[in-house]
Amino acid sequence: MAIFRLHLPFLDDVKAKGVKTAVKDKVDDVVTRITTGMNPTDLRKLLRDDPVGRPNPRLKPHTESFWFHIKPTYYNQLMDGFYPTFRLGWLSTYFFVFEIITGIYLMIFYTPSPVVAYENMRNILSNVPFGDLMRDLHKLGAEAMVAVVALHMLRTFVTGSYKKPRQFTWLTGMILLGVTLILSFSGYLLPWDQLSLWAVTIGASMVEAAPPQIVGTTLNLLVRGAPEFGAGGLLRFYLLHVVLLPAVGVIALSVHYYKVVIHGHSLPPEAEAVGEDTAKRIPMEQRVYFMPKIITRELFYVTGLTGLMILLTAFIYNAPPLEAHADSLLTPLHITSPWYFLWLQGMLKIGDKILWGLVIPPGLIGIILLLPYFEVGPSRRYGARRIGLSAAAMSIAALAVLSFMGSAWYKVTSSPDQEAVAALAPQTHPGPLREAPWDQLTFGTYLASQWDAAPTPALQGLLQRFDEELVRAVGPDQRDAEAIMIVEDWQTDLKKITLRVVWTNPDGSPYEFSQSVYLHRDSEYGG
Amino acid sequence: MKGSIVLGTLGLLGLMGALLFVTINEVDRMQTAERAYSARAVESGALEFESRCRSCHGPQGKGTPLAPALNTASLFDGSRLAAVGYAGTVDNYVRGTISAGRPVPSAGTNYPQRMPTWGERFGGPLRDDQVDSLVAFVMNWEDRALAEGAAAPELPADQAVGTDITQTLPSGDAARGRTLAEGTLGCAACHTLSTLGPAWAGDGTAAGIGPRAALRLDEPGYSGAAATAEQYLLESIVDPNAYLVSGFETVAMPATFSGRLTPQDAADLIAYMLTFD
Repeated sequence: MAIFRLHLPFLDDVKAKGVKTAVKDKVDDVVTRITTGMNPTDLRKLLRDDPVGRPNPRLKPHTESFWFHIKPTYYNQLMDGFYPTFRLGWLSTYFFVFEIITGIYLMIFYTPSPVVAYENMRNILSNVPFGDLMRDLHKLGAEAMVAVVALHMLRTFVTGSYKKPRQFTWLTGMILLGVTLILSFSGYLLPWDQLSLWAVTIGASMVEAAPPQIVGTTLNLLVRGAPEFGAGGLLRFYLLHVVLLPAVGVIALSVHYYKVVIHGHSLPPEAEAVGEDTAKRIPMEQRVYFMPKIITRELFYVTGLTGLMILLTAFIYNAPPLEAHADSLLTPLHITSPWYFLWLQGMLKIGDKILWGLVIPPGLIGIILLLPYFEVGPSRRYGARRIGLSAAAMSIAALAVLSFMGSAWYKVTSSPDQEAVAALAPQTHPGPLREAPWDQLTFGTYLASQWDAAPTPALQGLLQRFDEELVRAVGPDQRDAEAIMIVEDWQTDLKKITLRVVWTNPDGSPYEFSQSVYLHRDSEYGG
Repeated sequence: MKGSIVLGTLGLLGLMGALLFVTINEVDRMQTAERAYSARAVESGALEFESRCRSCHGPQGKGTPLAPALNTASLFDGSRLAAVGYAGTVDNYVRGTISAGRPVPSAGTNYPQRMPTWGERFGGPLRDDQVDSLVAFVMNWEDRALAEGAAAPELPADQAVGTDITQTLPSGDAARGRTLAEGTLGCAACHTLSTLGPAWAGDGTAAGIGPRAALRLDEPGYSGAAATAEQYLLESIVDPNAYLVSGFETVAMPATFSGRLTPQDAADLIAYMLTFD
């Protein structure tokens, strides 16, 4: 008695129907299973946009498959144009998936430890095939995602789509906006260079200001894992970045999507009567079916956008170069938080850290989060919401102003000598001196005020900039200030460039500030 | 819809094309990046050297009486490795010495101070990447150091001052002595700038080196052969172990000056020292 008998039903079919018919039936069967209900003929018709028979096989995936059940079966024709969605919600999802894919690639080569993280980054950039491409894609995608998600929120506000019955959709969307911002922020720390350490330190130091002191200290320990960023803080941010926040994001995104299917896409405000919600009642003649029209277009978007992102990163965009290794003892001049948190840094410059850092921003966030639960005016029409739309416009203006105030341009106190030197050799990015052509930095001592006497165009440009920055920084009352640049031969392929500022103090004593930069022939800062 | 399919297909082809382009250039890009990051390591190593190493190893790593020259052929041609019996590469020798320091002086050397431990792993202040940058910077001297050949040889015996302290020296030039002490010979590194050697200048409690030299002769236990202050100073330069002043028994003055100085150099130095009173 056989304990194991091999039986292939397909062979029975071949016996009964002949090879050709059996294979054809088998292919039909497999394709139908994969597409949950569409055989190759249906697929072919779908791609040719042929009229569909009854029962419509293209509806089955929406009820029977996982991937399509979160997509509506048909859309309102009014939602098919660029307005009113601008595709921003779809784009947000696209970038979420895009970041997961590029992020996993980077994750393979990364270890969240201060001992090796920086070395890993160097390895990704110089020894991992497509490592640089993936980092650029991940960075560009992250910046784009923050912008797209914020614009999606703005659009939802402007068209009044947060109103009943979509209050909870708005709330999950706000969670997703928060997840996006913190994801981007936590990712900032991971390269473990000076820029990442200090940009994140600025953000995290706000937590420490929370009153009373015991709360601030405890919260700070919780976030950073120690009084300062180190092994504990890096591991925490890494786990936030790759586990907790993506998990929260996936859950919130699923709820968000589900709510969209349940309530339907909210129509343009002018398309329905005040106080009505007709999104789910789409007349037959206004329906645009997901299959074939929307799905082919979305696939086109995916290929087009991904192609665009790759083209951008391959030819135009480069993520900021890896700065020097993170050093908690050395604060770079003019370090700022990431651009999407500059408004917060601007608020902190206004005054009290507690009021402007911990009372007003969370208060504003709370108001926006719960907006649909207290802003219950029935009309979504633009004309009926003048106050709300004006408030939104003013908020955007305020954000712009605050962001400017957060940048290094506004109210940063530093001495003119350091300012002039930092203009040529900044501490947060390569800057003009490091980007200058190495061969044109000829040996010698040059006075910035006599820049036109310098032997090479690059030196002339640098010295002129040095001179202008010094004049701008010292103001009209320090006319004897002099900027000097010394280029020395230091080693094989290594030059030492000393930037020096000298002047006479009001009490007659001489003053001197100098900083040296070493430049290697091959260091390729670009420019 | 047809448009979407056509455009999507074109987009896919474009995407593949861009990826292909990246693939073709990837090897070159990785090599460029590797070269660039190695170069940047040399740059940050140079900064680190200026703030941490220069005070003992001298400007441009040319060495001082406190610590050996690094910018010299003997480090790179293997002779120093052979002298200390190190079997690895120069790169690893430098890395090991910076990281772990030199608790015990290498055979045949007599520097007054031990190389401190720099690596974080061994209790020092520098992270691995900082040690790596320093190594990259020191190793970048290789070409020029080897091209320059061995360090300046000792003077021929008939030109050197020797260890005879009773000889008659030519008349000294204090100004030139000062140039020697503060520049070429690097005496000032210990004798005025640190507590490693007796400071020459006087302070509130002690006289300058000139009158002090005369007093040393009468100290109980004076084991040298000098009869005058000038002879004492000469003896201290050319035969520093003849008498060790109390408090400085453990910091050794290099005993190589008898072969490195001309009688004129010694006279100039003594003239300079006698200006401290």
